[in-house]
Amino acid sequence: MKRTIATLLIAIGMIAAIIILKNAYSCEIPIGSRGIKAAIDSGNLDLLFIGSSSFRSNIDMEMMDEAYQGKAFIIAYGGNQLVTSQIQYEEICTRSEHQYKQIVFELDPLMLTEDVDITDSRIIWDLSWNGKQKLWSKFQESNSADLSTTYEYFVTSGMDDLITYPITNPIYKARYYKGAKTGETPSSGRDYLESEPFDLSDKRTIDSQERALRELILQCQENNQSILFLETPHYHRLFEDPVYQKYRKAFCDILDEYEIPYILSDMVAFDPQNPDYFEDMGHMSTTGREEYTENLIQVLDQNETQE
Amino acid sequence: MNLISITFILFILILLVIYYSVKKQYQWLVLLLGSLVFYIWTNPFSIIFLLISIVSTWWLMKTPTRMRWYLTLIINLGLIIVFRYSVYFGVQDIIVPLGISFYTFMTLGYAHSVYEKKIQPCENLFHYALYISYFPQIVEGPIGIYQKMMPQLLQPHPFEMTHIQSGAYRCLKGLFKKLVIAGRLSYYVDTVYANPSAEGGLTLFIATFFYTIELYADFSGYMDIACGISEMLGIKLKENFIRPYFSKTIQEFWRRWHISLNEWFKEHLMMPAVTSGWNRKLSKLLGKVFTKAKKGTLRTIFPLILVWMVTGIWHGAEAVYIGWGLYYSVIMLFSVCTTAYMKKIRQKLHWNEELPGIRIFQVARTYFIVLIGEVLFRAHTLSDAFYIYKTMFTNTRLHLASITAALKPFGNGNQAVASLIIIVLLIGGLFFVELRQEMNEQAFTKHRAIYAGLMLVVVALFSVTGQSSFMYQQF
Repeated sequence: MKRTIATLLIAIGMIAAIIILKNAYSCEIPIGSRGIKAAIDSGNLDLLFIGSSSFRSNIDMEMMDEAYQGKAFIIAYGGNQLVTSQIQYEEICTRSEHQYKQIVFELDPLMLTEDVDITDSRIIWDLSWNGKQKLWSKFQESNSADLSTTYEYFVTSGMDDLITYPITNPIYKARYYKGAKTGETPSSGRDYLESEPFDLSDKRTIDSQERALRELILQCQENNQSILFLETPHYHRLFEDPVYQKYRKAFCDILDEYEIPYILSDMVAFDPQNPDYFEDMGHMSTTGREEYTENLIQVLDQNETQE
Repeated sequence: MNLISITFILFILILLVIYYSVKKQYQWLVLLLGSLVFYIWTNPFSIIFLLISIVSTWWLMKTPTRMRWYLTLIINLGLIIVFRYSVYFGVQDIIVPLGISFYTFMTLGYAHSVYEKKIQPCENLFHYALYISYFPQIVEGPIGIYQKMMPQLLQPHPFEMTHIQSGAYRCLKGLFKKLVIAGRLSYYVDTVYANPSAEGGLTLFIATFFYTIELYADFSGYMDIACGISEMLGIKLKENFIRPYFSKTIQEFWRRWHISLNEWFKEHLMMPAVTSGWNRKLSKLLGKVFTKAKKGTLRTIFPLILVWMVTGIWHGAEAVYIGWGLYYSVIMLFSVCTTAYMKKIRQKLHWNEELPGIRIFQVARTYFIVLIGEVLFRAHTLSDAFYIYKTMFTNTRLHLASITAALKPFGNGNQAVASLIIIVLLIGGLFFVELRQEMNEQAFTKHRAIYAGLMLVVVALFSVTGQSSFMYQQF
């Protein structure tokens, strides 16, 4: 009996210790060449992108390196939202002592319509304890915090990566360069792109996302941080959807309200009808990524000259 | 009330306190009330049908006559047909009463045994109601045998810490299988089987392999939890799984997988069918064609087909389940018909079955037969199943592109490698534990506290959320 109780206590102690340590220090463990820690470790930057997997797939960092003398970095997570982007910006402000000439946030109109959720556990991993708590309170505000989500958020998220770290970290290192994808991405072909289903009919504005966008803008203005919003191209079927256009306008209206500059996808020379450029509706093939990045750099240069 | 929920944990704690606090002669009453509360809480509407089944069977079998036995059959089979199969006749949105398949097996098993005069009818309706509604087994079994269950349910159970300890250990084992192993594998399996035509042979092989493990971990995980809870109450339930994937023959596999169901079929369907008049006539006819065949072999052919077809249809009236029943009918028939020849061949070849190499071959062969059958069990349609077979056997390649494609269903590309490593470790761990136990039943009992501690850590830190329902609940 004594032995059982002792074992039970040791097990509970181990569980508690692992949970506490993971939540407090996960942000200090680097994940290859991506995430907040890697961005901070890159020092002063001319361009810091914060967005979703679209940024990761659609921007070629080697080309950016050439244009900005290596002073650019992407912080991107699968399914990153406005709510999480705002917390990530706060995290950068608190943890980094470096200067960021311009921070480029993602302008994906559908971000306004996403229920508050985390699809990439790396978002949690990369936050400090304070950041985790702040994001958690956002979850609670939007009623997404049931028991199962709480457990997943504080206990199981990132555990697989932690336990397999010695094997998976070198893989991450090889897969990413300054937060962007490095591997070859082929196009999925016209047939696939023309038939890939998507349904935007039940989309509606999510208050928490809109509030996060406004908060993010105000925080940046308060900090005198130069920012820019960037819409990367979507395959024409999605781009031409009236619902997409409706939220695109809504997003731009908010930015106009605060006089925040933005670059829309049609302001960069790029053909969204070319299937060779896309892997799916929002992610580009290697060819598309290179073509787009080259033209984006020109637009960014013009922007800088005008300023 | 799901078995994996905070509500259920609270329910068990309260029940245990009351159960061990009341006078011993009232413990069975606490169990009956607890079982009814559990049932009503889970599915209030279906209590009516459970009560109809309990009261009618008990009353009809008090004085068992042929007419009353038939009436019992009609009522119970009628209920299960209405609820389980009316959907196939266009009736939509019907709520299937919780555990109807399993309690119907128990009521019919009881009624048949009474009718055959193997047991005395239960005199007390409430005792009988407890036997049928006993909550740890009502959802997915095991299908308790009246003679073994009833004395245990009624006898007094003094509080013993060892029961609580071993029961809790068993529950933890069940949670580990369900939440850590089955939960993880289900994601891959569901993704691949949702659209098999998008996958290559290697991916389909991996998904089917994972499914065999998932099904075992899920179903035996439930049994571990049910047996563990019952053990805490001092009541030993029938074991439903004994490391089935280590079986050397397919017959052995079915003696070690879902044991209570297979024994039920053997006693209440197979044996009556073997001794029935129609089977005697049919086997005589067969004897005229196969003159060299043994009488005993001929007599088992039709009952075997009957049992496997009923087993298939019991899982559902979809073509895939009927195909699955047919698959096992053919396999079992082949096995029965060739047993004598195989024995002779083995003797001629001086085949020593105790040699490890031979044993490994036999276990692998049996597992492969099961794996092939599981495609039918898991596929949504027969055409999906045939597509999977075709792709598995004609399009399985071990080159980089197919390996990369096989990694995709693990989810987001970044986490696929981590998921793969964890799954390999978990399956390896489960295999190691079961292999040790296969070689020595007592393995792990000496240091059980340490294993329990380790399991607690793994369950707490690596469980997959959103996995509260069990696969066999749907049946």
